[in-house]
Amino acid sequence: MSLAPFVTALALPLLLALALIWPQARSLVWRMMPFAPLPALALALLGDLPMHAQADWMILGLQFGLDEISRLFVIFTGLLWCAAGASARHWMRHDARATSFGVMFLMAQTGNLGLLLALDAASFYAFFAPMSFASYGLVLHSRTPQAQGAARLYIGFVVLGELALFAGLALAVAQAGSFHVADLRATALSDPAVALMMIGLCVKLGIMPLHFWLPPAHGAAPVPASAVLSGAMIKAGLFGMITLLPLGGVTYADHGTVMMAAGMVTIFAALLLGVQQTSPKAVLGYSSVSQMGILALGLGAGLMVPQAWVAILPVLVFLAAHHALAKGALFLGTGAFAAQTGPAAKLAVTLALLLPAFVLAGLPASSGALGKEALKTAFNAGSPVWLPWLTVALSLSGVATTLLMARYVAMIWLHPPGAPAKVTQEAVLLPFLALVGASLALPLVWVAVAGTLAAPISQAAPGALWPVALGVAMAAGVAIHAHAQRIGPAVFLAQITAPGRALALRADSILAAKRRAARRLAHAMPKAIGETAMRWRLGQTAIAGLIALTLLLEAGGSLRGEAAMPPAAQPGAAHPPGHMLPPYFEP
Amino acid sequence: MMDAPLLPLFILLTSLLAAPVLFSLPERAARLRTGINLGMAGLKVALVAWLSLKVSQGVIYDLRFELLPGLEFKLQADPLAILFIALSAVLWLITTIYSVGYLEHGPHRARFFGFFSLCVAATVGIALSGNLFTFLLFYELLTLATYPLVIHRGTAEALRAGRIYLIYTLAGGLVLLLGTLGLWVLAGTTDFVPGGVLAYVVAVNPLAAQLLFVVLIGALGVKAALFPFHVWLPIAMVAPAPVSALLHAVAVVKAGAFGIMRVVYEVFGIETAQALGVTAPLAVLAGVTIIYGSLKAITQDDIKKRLAYSTVSQVSYITLGVALASPLAAVGALAHLIHQGLMKITMFMVAGNLAEGLGVKRVSQMDGVGRAMPGSMLAFTLAALGMIGLPPLAGFVSKWYLAQGGLEAGQAWVIELLLGSSLLNAIYFMPMLHRAWFRDAAPETTGAPGRPRIGWMLAVPPAATAALVLIAGGFANAPFSPLEWTRFIVAIEYQE
Repeated sequence: MSLAPFVTALALPLLLALALIWPQARSLVWRMMPFAPLPALALALLGDLPMHAQADWMILGLQFGLDEISRLFVIFTGLLWCAAGASARHWMRHDARATSFGVMFLMAQTGNLGLLLALDAASFYAFFAPMSFASYGLVLHSRTPQAQGAARLYIGFVVLGELALFAGLALAVAQAGSFHVADLRATALSDPAVALMMIGLCVKLGIMPLHFWLPPAHGAAPVPASAVLSGAMIKAGLFGMITLLPLGGVTYADHGTVMMAAGMVTIFAALLLGVQQTSPKAVLGYSSVSQMGILALGLGAGLMVPQAWVAILPVLVFLAAHHALAKGALFLGTGAFAAQTGPAAKLAVTLALLLPAFVLAGLPASSGALGKEALKTAFNAGSPVWLPWLTVALSLSGVATTLLMARYVAMIWLHPPGAPAKVTQEAVLLPFLALVGASLALPLVWVAVAGTLAAPISQAAPGALWPVALGVAMAAGVAIHAHAQRIGPAVFLAQITAPGRALALRADSILAAKRRAARRLAHAMPKAIGETAMRWRLGQTAIAGLIALTLLLEAGGSLRGEAAMPPAAQPGAAHPPGHMLPPYFEP
Repeated sequence: MMDAPLLPLFILLTSLLAAPVLFSLPERAARLRTGINLGMAGLKVALVAWLSLKVSQGVIYDLRFELLPGLEFKLQADPLAILFIALSAVLWLITTIYSVGYLEHGPHRARFFGFFSLCVAATVGIALSGNLFTFLLFYELLTLATYPLVIHRGTAEALRAGRIYLIYTLAGGLVLLLGTLGLWVLAGTTDFVPGGVLAYVVAVNPLAAQLLFVVLIGALGVKAALFPFHVWLPIAMVAPAPVSALLHAVAVVKAGAFGIMRVVYEVFGIETAQALGVTAPLAVLAGVTIIYGSLKAITQDDIKKRLAYSTVSQVSYITLGVALASPLAAVGALAHLIHQGLMKITMFMVAGNLAEGLGVKRVSQMDGVGRAMPGSMLAFTLAALGMIGLPPLAGFVSKWYLAQGGLEAGQAWVIELLLGSSLLNAIYFMPMLHRAWFRDAAPETTGAPGRPRIGWMLAVPPAATAALVLIAGGFANAPFSPLEWTRFIVAIEYQE
């Protein structure tokens, strides 16, 4: 197969980035921004699988290709870049540093799409690195002290990750004797090689304890950049592990244990850290970390139990797509919310934001719930020892995500994120709503897009309501508590007991009236009884009463006797009378 | 099929003969001087291209003139020579253009370009030397031809730097003379032969061979800036930017590194050297230099000084790759000879541009220079990222092969060393990039936007070398790329 389609797919964003250097071309480039990933998307949607092309003379022997897995990654990554590009076009329109942002945005996009298409280790690294380094400019964009700090932290972790990945790849290629990723996957790579590659990729994935950079960076970057950082680029870590590690063939028990433990910690520790954040985008960042913990559980299980990997892999891809769309929608929605001016519009956007929030939390039958249920099923193929733990953890992660989403919704109101002074409100709304729609439709569309890989999803149970419900209930409790804390416990107590006290007050007054009446009654009673008795003529009344009582008793007795008698001509009673007697009456 | 047996001699003469002509030209004949300079440099590139084509077809050029019985002046064009000669021919052309622009209205241009030509002639001679004796001649010529360039500005600081440079390199030259004599005595020849000429001596008298190795590597290590002989290099950066560029990328430092290659591969032979047990200490020394140079670079605020310490570190990659005694590491080392040259010459030329265009000489003044000089800083960025080892740039390719070579040789510590060095590279280069692109400019560096601050003769050369950095990395596997050529050489040196 020729190299041309791959080159076209990557050349468009790259050339657009270069074109931004000419002031004359800038307006055209910004208009093209949403369409930059289209060649790659078209390749993934229309091409016949598997694709493969190579250019031995480039880098260390460049190989491009697409298989069923990478195709899905290209599709959801491309979609997200389209939406973010559409948003960025308006978000950055009046920004003084728009050109710098555009160059970095498109460079990162080239890297992100390129690493999904690369089939050899050197090219993967050659695309992974520009993506990571270009994102530095995205994180730093606003130049505020927070952004400076976030960018410094980010670049530190990037360098760490790149070095680990370089070393891991160097070891892996030496052991496999080939650059091709299929050969890496087919080789029983040594423990250090796998560990180093895992470290390099987990930095991108934000698995604890390599997550420190992620929430501040996602919080500091402008909205469109956060969307792709959190939705698309973070998945490069997952894709790297899927494509470079010999998962499903070799058992790495230690690596798997560490990975699962890290994933388990990540899911819940990110909750604890995330709910303390006040910036809504940092909350979303922690939510991403927490979600990546779920992916880490799957990866860890695959490392520990290779035979489970076949079942886990398609679910992980689905979860990645699910998180990309939902989280992308949430980030773009944060921008859309910030751009609105009227409270009614803000409320409307908030309601729209609740949709991806609930999808992410795993409302039954949403992509989040289906993915988790499918993952539970896939875990069944593994060791039964840790299965119950995983099932519980996955359910509880729903509670955790619901809480984070509640925190997020509260924080966009309490600490609204900044928006450019001049921005077309409808224009930033559109990409957000498109992603919301995509996120809601994902379970239905996935069957058409993923083909056989969609089987675990289409067969998954819709999932339970209780994690989300519990989360909502806890969030409500926390909200009430927070309200109480804000206005002071005594005031709150007064407030909460106000209806009761009002009731008590009314009851009091009623009682007092009654008591007064009773007291009056008590004074009046003896005299009144005496007078009545005199009026009713006590003796006659008593005799009449006795007669009435006797009659009543008689009538009652006869009625009871009648009821005890068997119905003589009951319809359908075919038995002779003798048979009516219970057996012990027989002689 | 030797259709032009004197081709190597012609290549040598293009710059050797240009020198006296340039010296004799009057100061004001700038146009003629530039014409001669560029004409000769262009001619040399064409001749070298022809020569490399011939050599790639298997032709070996071998010219000998017997000076004394047994003592020959010998020029040979083997693939290893082509590697170095191609680097110097291409970069000479580029640096000449840059120098013409840089010194446009400066004094003493006749002197400058005369010595510049001599300096390149010496480099070409070093590349083409067929034995250690010829090598020594050109090595000394290089020392003498570079001294006037280092002190070109004539300031007290420049004179002091020149003095230190001269002390170190002349001492190194004397030791090399001693080593050459020693080799002649021990082996009876000083010829460079793949596989070495000392196998017998090593078997009979290993101690003498070890001593000879120490003497030769010590002598060459001065120019190659091996720790602890590197002191002169950061001091010599007071030279004008094009001189620093040439010194760091092609001429002096590379002459030392190239000499180490010749000594290890073709005087001792890699297997003999390994059996002698001298390669491992050399690898360790190179490793120490790599880390030491990087650590020193971090603390420098002067841009050129930081680049100079970076050279100390980066050139030792070459030595390391040679000393690891593995074919893959050798590929990395030889490729780095070219790659480091391309990257470092870019950075020095940009440093010159910053000083010329904006008056920026310190890292702490670099805020916002990317906006003021985007083209130059883009070139600098590519070179710096290449130094850190990011693909698809040239530095990645050499680092990758060094890492693979370390694994092949069973020396996993090389990976750790490379990681440490890359980390340090990132620590001293990335703040420069951060300042240039992501900080707002200081008032004195913001002028009228859109107006070019430097002429095309200063702007184009770094852009060209940066493009070569990208091409050497991005098309590393293409025929005639530095990497492919080094694979060709290594196949010869390892006699596969």
